[in-house]
Amino acid sequence: MGSWIGVALAISAPLAVGLAALGSGIGLGRAVGSAMEAIGRQPDASGKILTNMIIGAALIEALTIYALIVFFIVLDKMV
Amino acid sequence: MHHFYLTMSEENTVINLDRKVPELPNFITFLHHHFPSLPIVKFLHSWENLVFSILIAVIISFIALFGIRKKQMIPMGLQNFLELGAEKFNDLIIEVLGKQGRAYVPFLGTLFIYILAMNLFGLIPLMKSPSSNLNITVALAICVFALVQFLNIKNMGIFGFIHHLAGSPKTTIEWVLAPFLLVLELISQLARPVTLALRLFGNVLGEDILIGTFAILGVGLLINYSSVGLPLQIPFMFLALLTSIMQALVFTLLSTVYILLSGTHKENH
Repeated sequence: MGSWIGVALAISAPLAVGLAALGSGIGLGRAVGSAMEAIGRQPDASGKILTNMIIGAALIEALTIYALIVFFIVLDKMV
Repeated sequence: MHHFYLTMSEENTVINLDRKVPELPNFITFLHHHFPSLPIVKFLHSWENLVFSILIAVIISFIALFGIRKKQMIPMGLQNFLELGAEKFNDLIIEVLGKQGRAYVPFLGTLFIYILAMNLFGLIPLMKSPSSNLNITVALAICVFALVQFLNIKNMGIFGFIHHLAGSPKTTIEWVLAPFLLVLELISQLARPVTLALRLFGNVLGEDILIGTFAILGVGLLINYSSVGLPLQIPFMFLALLTSIMQALVFTLLSTVYILLSGTHKENH
């Protein structure tokens, strides 16, 4: 058989994106959970807490996006 | 023969050229599809993202011009709305940067409004978000990088900056570790514009691909029964609304934090 790179990428590239999504899922769960707890303790500060939570969520989400970008770059090699 | 008008985009050349990404058509690709030989269409098609960027900048300028036509002490209407936005943003930046942050509010405000307008423009039918192209986001990230490095060198001096990057060594142990810390800090400084650009690009392009893929699905589901498909991409356009606002805010706030870290105000040290 010829080169195995297509097979290898077809197994590993979606798996990589899935693992990145798993990591960011855990991270976001913890971040949003702490935000919920903080809002429960001080409902007055919920505006500020929400803003900071959204910003933190966007930063964590970006790591999954990097994995997706790598996926698109190697998509070409998958034949 | 089923002819999909959803053209595949060739613009994202940094990703790859053989596999094209599904995006919704905009008026330039539409014109290019029907009149490919007209010189004006060729010009528009090759400068597609810049055409949209300049269009957005002109629209923002006109909105601002209309807003300040009648300068009233008690603002009404459009002037009220614009002043509300400017004031809220000013408060946000000053909260992070302190009183001296007022000098950076015009730059950061422009960044925020421009990126927000660019992201939201793609949701208008037959228009495209220019920030789904890596060239545009890298240009914005380079602007921020240049400002931050200029502020670094202005506030700390060139040798003071290198000293700060090496972890401000005072004792012998710290001087030994300084070269390693310097290399690490340099990499992290260089990674900042890269992550800024890639984050905005990845998020906006991801949303575009999502919307395009679901639009194709919506048309393809009923292709054998009718010539009109279901608009399955509408829930994802609401999601695109949310991520557009978030990404503009994150870009601007991160730039603010980088300006803060460049030692703009020394009184808190």
